[in-house]
Amino acid sequence: MDTFILLFDGLGTAMQPMNLMFALLGVMLGTAVGVMPGIGPALTVALLLPVSLSFGATGSMIMFAGIYYGGMYGGAISSILLNTPGETASIMTALEGNRMAKRGRGGKALGAAAFGSFFGGMFATLGLAIVAPFMVMVALSFGTAEYFALMVLSFMTVSAAFGGSMSRGLTALFIGLTIGIVGTDKLTGQVRLAFGIPEMSDNISIAIVAVGLFAIGETMYLASQHINHKTKAQAVSGSVWLNWSDFKRCIRPYIRGTGLGFLFGPLPTGGAEIPTFLSYTTEKRLATGEARREFDEGLGAIEGVAGPEAANNASAAGTLIPLLTLGLPTSATAAMMLAGFQQYGLQPGPLLFTNNAELVWGLVASLFIANLMLVVLNVPFIGIWVKLLTIPRPWLYAGILTFATLGIVGAQGSPFALVLLLGFGLIGFVMRRFGYPLAPALVGAILGPLAEEQLRRGLMINQGDWWFLLNSNIALTIYAIALLSIFGPRLWSFTRKAIRQNKGAHS
Amino acid sequence: MSGDPKNKAAEEELRLPFEDEPAGGTGKRDAAGLVIAVALFALAAVIVNDASGYTIRRSYARFGPEIVPYVIASGITILAVITVIMAWRGQFEARDRLNIGGLSWLVGGILVEIVMLYGGTGFIAGSAVLFACAARAFGQATLLLNLAIGAVLSTLLFLLFRYGLGLSLPSGPLERAIDLLVR
Repeated sequence: MDTFILLFDGLGTAMQPMNLMFALLGVMLGTAVGVMPGIGPALTVALLLPVSLSFGATGSMIMFAGIYYGGMYGGAISSILLNTPGETASIMTALEGNRMAKRGRGGKALGAAAFGSFFGGMFATLGLAIVAPFMVMVALSFGTAEYFALMVLSFMTVSAAFGGSMSRGLTALFIGLTIGIVGTDKLTGQVRLAFGIPEMSDNISIAIVAVGLFAIGETMYLASQHINHKTKAQAVSGSVWLNWSDFKRCIRPYIRGTGLGFLFGPLPTGGAEIPTFLSYTTEKRLATGEARREFDEGLGAIEGVAGPEAANNASAAGTLIPLLTLGLPTSATAAMMLAGFQQYGLQPGPLLFTNNAELVWGLVASLFIANLMLVVLNVPFIGIWVKLLTIPRPWLYAGILTFATLGIVGAQGSPFALVLLLGFGLIGFVMRRFGYPLAPALVGAILGPLAEEQLRRGLMINQGDWWFLLNSNIALTIYAIALLSIFGPRLWSFTRKAIRQNKGAHS
Repeated sequence: MSGDPKNKAAEEELRLPFEDEPAGGTGKRDAAGLVIAVALFALAAVIVNDASGYTIRRSYARFGPEIVPYVIASGITILAVITVIMAWRGQFEARDRLNIGGLSWLVGGILVEIVMLYGGTGFIAGSAVLFACAARAFGQATLLLNLAIGAVLSTLLFLLFRYGLGLSLPSGPLERAIDLLVR
């Protein structure tokens, strides 16, 4: 019951006029940037990271949560109308959603997506509020060895889950770890890898790394392709309001999607891609009657939009559980959020709940408010966001680039930040072109220094004896989970392939 | 396109991202991949060279700030060797032809902005040029129009950031004039 009292207090914090304004600003910015083709929530948060610097901790965290959720809603719009999913989380939405838009039912698809996001976001946030205190209780008993093990788990799974090949994931991770050691060592004051440049001897701001790798790298990648950037969006056709029969078709996918998203969100498997995929395939398998025909004939089935959209917003709330209670990001967007916390010198983890209870519960409460705002912004006012899609792409991308450089230069106050930004942009571009995933690099750059601190503190306490790392059952269990999450999927796909071949042999 | 069988087949083949076969490469020796491997070797060397120069401190930890860089450098070396093998066997996926023009306009635009900011022309002018070059990179060849839009956009952004959020942006003559007008 304590949870509800705390949540109620949090609601008091979130309802303060200034904080309501930050939430509104966050959801509007998040939706606006999220709508832009090819830009998902991770990139949205990265771009707005420097902007939020001047709002104070609680205000900017509330804004961030708004940006995160707003980016999820906005991403659905461009997936449905343009068929350009901003990130893996909305690929499944684009599949049926774009077909619906092409057949003049774009409005229905958008409505199903918005209400699905609302449903998934609301219930999963409630789940977050209930589960988080238990996680905190567990996490309070963790020492250096356990934390180090958790970070290794995060490193391993983020490298294994994103992108096709493990070796490329690990390479990206190690590039990130290298970025993480640049600057002044916290424990000894030793300056590392700064090459005598003053701006590099105080650690590189994670905002520069994130915007460089993701935003600049991605725009370079887009510019390097031979495609016509002047494609047209599908117009919104039909009402976005769902009538009773639409709603009846959506409610089951909503419930299933929310469950899947909330279940998979906190697992270190890379956020929303697995739950949205599972939700889509479930809906497709279970479809009957009208829906069956729409799935089979490629007409676009509303269930195929409803399920995955509920799933990806639910998983967004789910990823906040390990992020807030353990300080462990399980998706690229969560990593960006972690960077946001660090801007204020806040370290998410069990101590955040005890020391900054007002901030944490204010944040959780504001998630409910953000969801409410978003469903209002995305259903009656959908037309405004769609207008953003009519901006010609060259100007749109140029504007994004201008905005990115402005945020970085403004926050750092030095043109040298741009030199670093260009450098990370080029690294991001090369990685993107050669199929290296970007998320491990970011997680490495953020978590690397924390892992190093835990490791060296542990070594100091244990007088240089490395065995302390394995001298804990919790830590050993975590290492076992790490191994399982790397080899498990491979084993699974192997058995699946074997089954497939077996079937082939029989038929 | 909705009902055609090819589309349906593609849908049946939907896979989880980690199920991608790593061996979906070209099979041809990949010079660019070898360049990446060389860059990784060089990175490892730079890290080791840097770490070997740290002041030695005696402490209970017995390990100082150099330990993690050494671990990272050895990891990168191993990965570089794997990259050589991957490139040699051609395990990188086929890449599209590079649009060098587009890429150069974009990188050039950022470079010009860096030079302009160091040169003291201020944020608005630098950003306007970046905007124009970036739009050109995406095929919008109307440079003057791009420049005009860029100037309007970056002036608005400057006002928002300078007076709305209180961030300091590099100032040139134009920004100082605006400051005088607003004060």
